[in-house]
Amino acid sequence: MNKRGSYYRYLNRFGWLCVAPAMVFYSLFMLYPILSSLYYVTRKWKGMSNTFVGLGNFARMAQDKIFQLALGHNFLFMFTQIPLMIFLALILAVILNQGIKRLRGSFRVIFFLPCVTSLVAYSVLFRILLQSNGLLNNIMMNAHLIASPIGWLNDPFWAQTTIILALTWRWTGYNMVFFLVGLQSIDSEIYEAAEVDGASKVRQFFRITLPLLLPVILFSAVTSTSGTMQLFDEPNILTNQGGPGNGTMTAALYIYRQAFVLNSDFGYATAMSYIVVLISGVFAFVQMKLLGGRDK
Amino acid sequence: MSVVRKWSPARLLVWFVLVVGGFISLFPFFWMLIGTTLNPNDVVRGIIVPGSEIASNWVKATKNYNLLLFFVNSLKIALLTVLLGVLINALAAFGFEKYKSKGREKIFGILLLTLIIPQIAIVIPMFRLFSFLHLLNTHAAIILPSVMSVFIIFFMRQNFKMFPTEIMEAARVDGTSEFGILVRIVSPSMKATFASAAIYMFIGQWNSYLWPLMTILTDAKKTLPIAMSSMMSMYTIEYGALMIIVCMSILPVLILFLTMQKQFVAGLLGSVK
Repeated sequence: MNKRGSYYRYLNRFGWLCVAPAMVFYSLFMLYPILSSLYYVTRKWKGMSNTFVGLGNFARMAQDKIFQLALGHNFLFMFTQIPLMIFLALILAVILNQGIKRLRGSFRVIFFLPCVTSLVAYSVLFRILLQSNGLLNNIMMNAHLIASPIGWLNDPFWAQTTIILALTWRWTGYNMVFFLVGLQSIDSEIYEAAEVDGASKVRQFFRITLPLLLPVILFSAVTSTSGTMQLFDEPNILTNQGGPGNGTMTAALYIYRQAFVLNSDFGYATAMSYIVVLISGVFAFVQMKLLGGRDK
Repeated sequence: MSVVRKWSPARLLVWFVLVVGGFISLFPFFWMLIGTTLNPNDVVRGIIVPGSEIASNWVKATKNYNLLLFFVNSLKIALLTVLLGVLINALAAFGFEKYKSKGREKIFGILLLTLIIPQIAIVIPMFRLFSFLHLLNTHAAIILPSVMSVFIIFFMRQNFKMFPTEIMEAARVDGTSEFGILVRIVSPSMKATFASAAIYMFIGQWNSYLWPLMTILTDAKKTLPIAMSSMMSMYTIEYGALMIIVCMSILPVLILFLTMQKQFVAGLLGSVK
C-alpha cells in the first residue's frame, strides 16, 4: 500500500467513515455526560433551581453517615463475597476439568444457568424464598437445623448475608467458565511430569494450577470488584431499598435515591458518583498492576 | 488423569460437591416453575408441590398487569438495540482494525480507558440530557445510550484481527469497493462473532434495570424488569402473577442460552482472549 498516495487517503477516509457513527453515539452518551458532570458536581439543587457550591458537595459527603455506611457495605460485599465466589468457582472448575469423566458438559451448563437470569428476576425469586415464613426457613425448621425462623431480610446482618449468598449463586458459574477455559489451556504434560516426580494432587494444585491460573483469577477479581462497586439491583429489590434500616444500602443505590427518590439533588448525587469512580479506578489500577506484573 | 473406578472418599466428596452445587443452582428455576402454578399464599409459604392456579395466574398477569405489553416492550427495545448496535459497533471495529491510523488508535485508547467508568456516574448527567431533549419516558431513551458498546467494539475488533488482510487486498485488486469488502467478503465469515455480539447485547438490554428505572414513568412504557420491580414495591403483592412475569423474563434468555450455547459463551469469553 502506498502510504502517501491519494489511495491511502481514501482508505483513511473510509476508516473514519466506519468509526464515525459509533463516535457520534459515544460523544452524546459517554463524553457529554462525563463533561457535563463537571458542571453538576459544583451545584446544589433546591427544587427546580440550583446554585453554585464549589466543593460543597464533597464537604457534605464527609458529614453524610449514610453514604459512608453505604460505601462500607460495598467494601464488605467486595471482601467477603468475591473471595468466597472465586474459591467456589475454582473448586467447581477443577472438579469439572480433572475430577470427573462423565456428565462434565451437563454440570457446566447447570452451574452456568444462574447467570442467565436477570438481576431483577432472581432478586424477586430470592426475596420470596427468604421471607420469614418462606420456603428456606420452612425447610430448615422442618429439618431441625434452626429452632426459629431466620430474619434473612429483616435483620441487617442476615440481610447482608442474603446479598452475599445471592450474589454467589448468581455469579459463581460465570466465573467458573473463565477458570475452566484457563485450566484447559494448561498443558497436560506439566501434570504428567509432576506425576512422574511423585507430586500429590494437592501439591500439583498449589504448585501448578494456581500459579498458572492466577491471571484469570485476577481478571475475575477485577470484573467482580467493578460489579460490586456498582451493586444496585439486589439491594434495591431483594432487600427492599437497601433495608432493613440501611443495613444493605450501597453507594449506587444511595446515589440513585438522592437523585430520584428523596431530594432530586443531582449535584450531590454526581459528587458521590465521583467517589465511586475514584475507588473503582484505584482498584482497577492496583489489580491491573498485579496482572501486568505477572505477565512479565 | 487417573480416575479410580471404585468409590474412594475423594470421589465421593467430588460427587457430593457436584450434586449439592447442582441442586442449589437449579432449585430456584424449579421452584419458579412450581410457583407459577400456586395461589399467592402458597407462593410465599413456599410450597414445593405444583398447584392448579396456573391459568388464573396467567389471566391476572395478562389482565391486571399487562404482561404481554411489558414483554413486547422488552422485546422491541432489546431487538432494536441489537440491530443498531451490531451494525454500528461492527462498522467501528472494522474501521479500527483494518484501517489503522494513529488518530484512530488514540481514540480507541480513550474508549478503553472509559470502560472503567461505572454506569452510576453516567446516568445522572444523562438523565438531565434526556430531560432536556424531552425524551424521558420513551423507548428511545432506553435504546439510544445502549447502542454503542466499547466492550462489543473491542470484542469484534479482536475477531476482525483474525481475518487475513491478504484476502482484502486481493478483493481490492479485483475492484471491490471497501464497503463491498466488508459486506460481501469479511462479514460472511464473521457470522459467529455477530451472533455472540447480538446475544450479549440482547441479554444486556433485556435485563437492564437502573437506567430504565430512571427514565420510564408510565405503565404503558414499562419493560419486564421495571414491571417486576414496581410490583415488588406495591402494598399487596400478587405473587402468582408475579411468578408468571418472572418466568417470562427468564425463559427467553434461558432458551437463547440452551440453543446457542457456543456463541453465548464465546461472547462472554471475548474479553479474556
